[in-house]
Amino acid sequence: MNNSVIIKGTKSGIIVVLDSEMDFGELAEHVAVKFQQSAKFLGDATMALSFEGRVLSNDEQRVLLNIINDNSDLNIVCIVDTDERKEHLFEKTLNEKLMELSSNTGQFYKGNLRSGQVLEVETSIIVIGDVNNGAKVVSKGNIIILGALKGNVFAGAAGNTKAFVVALEMDPVQIRIGDLIARSPDKKEKKVQKETKIAFVEDGNIYIEPLSKDVINDIHL
Amino acid sequence: MGEVIVITSGKGGVGKTTTTANVGTGLAKLGKKVVLIDTDIGLRNLDVVMGLENRIVYNLVDVVEGNCRIKQALIKDKRYPNLYLLPSAQTRDKTAVNPEQMKKLADELREEFDYILMDCPAGIEQGFKNAIAGADSALVVTTPEVSAVRDADRIIGLLEANEIKSTHLIVNRLRSDMVKRGDMMSSDDVVEILAVDLIGVVPDDENIVVSTNQGEPLVGNDSLAGQAYMNICRRVIGEQVPLLDLSGKSGLLAKLASIFKKNN
Repeated sequence: MNNSVIIKGTKSGIIVVLDSEMDFGELAEHVAVKFQQSAKFLGDATMALSFEGRVLSNDEQRVLLNIINDNSDLNIVCIVDTDERKEHLFEKTLNEKLMELSSNTGQFYKGNLRSGQVLEVETSIIVIGDVNNGAKVVSKGNIIILGALKGNVFAGAAGNTKAFVVALEMDPVQIRIGDLIARSPDKKEKKVQKETKIAFVEDGNIYIEPLSKDVINDIHL
Repeated sequence: MGEVIVITSGKGGVGKTTTTANVGTGLAKLGKKVVLIDTDIGLRNLDVVMGLENRIVYNLVDVVEGNCRIKQALIKDKRYPNLYLLPSAQTRDKTAVNPEQMKKLADELREEFDYILMDCPAGIEQGFKNAIAGADSALVVTTPEVSAVRDADRIIGLLEANEIKSTHLIVNRLRSDMVKRGDMMSSDDVVEILAVDLIGVVPDDENIVVSTNQGEPLVGNDSLAGQAYMNICRRVIGEQVPLLDLSGKSGLLAKLASIFKKNN
C-alpha cells in the first residue's frame, strides 16, 4: 500500500492526509481501503474530521465522507478545515456538540446500585432503582433516579453546569454538577422527607428544591 | 440434590458463625441432613461454637489438598446424628484454597446432604470468594448499625455480580427497646435500604453469649433468640412462619395495652 491516504489522530478528531497528485476516483478507492483496514482500530467513536494535503470541492468532500461512513463505524459530527489557529475551535465545536448530545440523549439502568458500584455514562442516565450509600453515578448529561439517592452523583461530568439531578428521595452524600461540589450537611436530619427533588446550578451554587411546575419550566436541555 | 447456602456479612462480629451454628443445628433438628463448612481458614472458630473442637483430626485444607478423604474430615455432631462439621485449618491462610476447589467440594457434598452451610469469613477478599464459589443462595447477616448495613450492601452487590440469585437477610442483635425509642434502626429500615427479602430478625439476647461459650447452639429452646433462629430454619425449608414479636412482653397486661394502642 502506498502513502496516498494517511490517517492521523489529533486531540479531538482525525485528519485524513490525501495525495495531491492522484486522480480523485483512484484516491477515493484508496480512502475506502484505508478505512476498512482501520475500522476495528478506530471503533465507533464520535469525532470531527478534516482533510489535508489537497483542495477538495464540496462534492468531493461529500463523496469521501460517504465512503468513510460506509467503511467504518465512525460517527463524524462535523468537518473542519485544518488550520493551526482553528485547532482550538475544532475542539470547542466537538465538545459543544458532545455536550448537546449528552444532555439530549439518555440511557436506562435498572437495578439498585450498591456500595462500591460505579455507573459511568456518556449520555444522560435514568436509574430505575436506588443509589445506595457508597455507590456512584457519573454522567456527562443529566441524572434521574427513580428511587432513593443516598450515594454520590456527578452530573455534567464534561463541565456542563446546565446539567441537573432528580431523585424521588433526595438524600445524597455528595452532588457534583459541572465543576461544583455540594456535600450533605454534617448534622443529619432524622428523617428525610420522601419528596421528589431536583438539584441544579444557579449563580455558581448547587440548589436542591422540590420538583415543582415552576422548576420544571426553568429546565433547559 | 442438596442446597449450598453461604452465610456472609462483609463486616466482622455481626454473628455469621453464631448464625451458621444455630441455623445448621436447627435444620438438623427439623430432620435435614446438614454439613457446616468453616471457610475462615486461619481463624477457625465454628468448631468452638459447636463444641466440637476436641474432635478435629483433619480439616478443609487437608480435604482440598487430598491428604484425606472428605468422610475422614467430617465431624459428626455429638447431639444430632444427621449434622456434620467440616472444620477449617488454623495453621494456614485463605490462599491455601481457591474458588474452583471449593466449588468441587460443594458439588461432592451436594450428593449426600440436604443443606451445605458455608460460614464465610469477614471481608471481600479471597476467603469470601472461596466461600461463595459453590453457593446457590446466601443468607446475609447484618446488625442494625450503619457500618454493618453499608458492608452488607456491598456484599449483596458482589453476590449479585457473582450471579447468586437468591439472597435473604437476617437482622441480628436487634434491641426492640432501642428501636422504640428511635435510637436504633428497625428491621424495616434495614430492609428499605438493602432491598432484599427478610428471612428473620434475631433479638440481642444474652443467652447467645452463654450458649456460644458452652458450645451448645440455643436454636429451638424457649429463649427469644432460640425461637427466632428456629423460625429462620423453618423459612429456609420453605415453611411460612410469621415474624416473632420481639418486644419481650407477652403478659396479659402488655397484650391489653397493645390493643388499646391500636384503637387509638
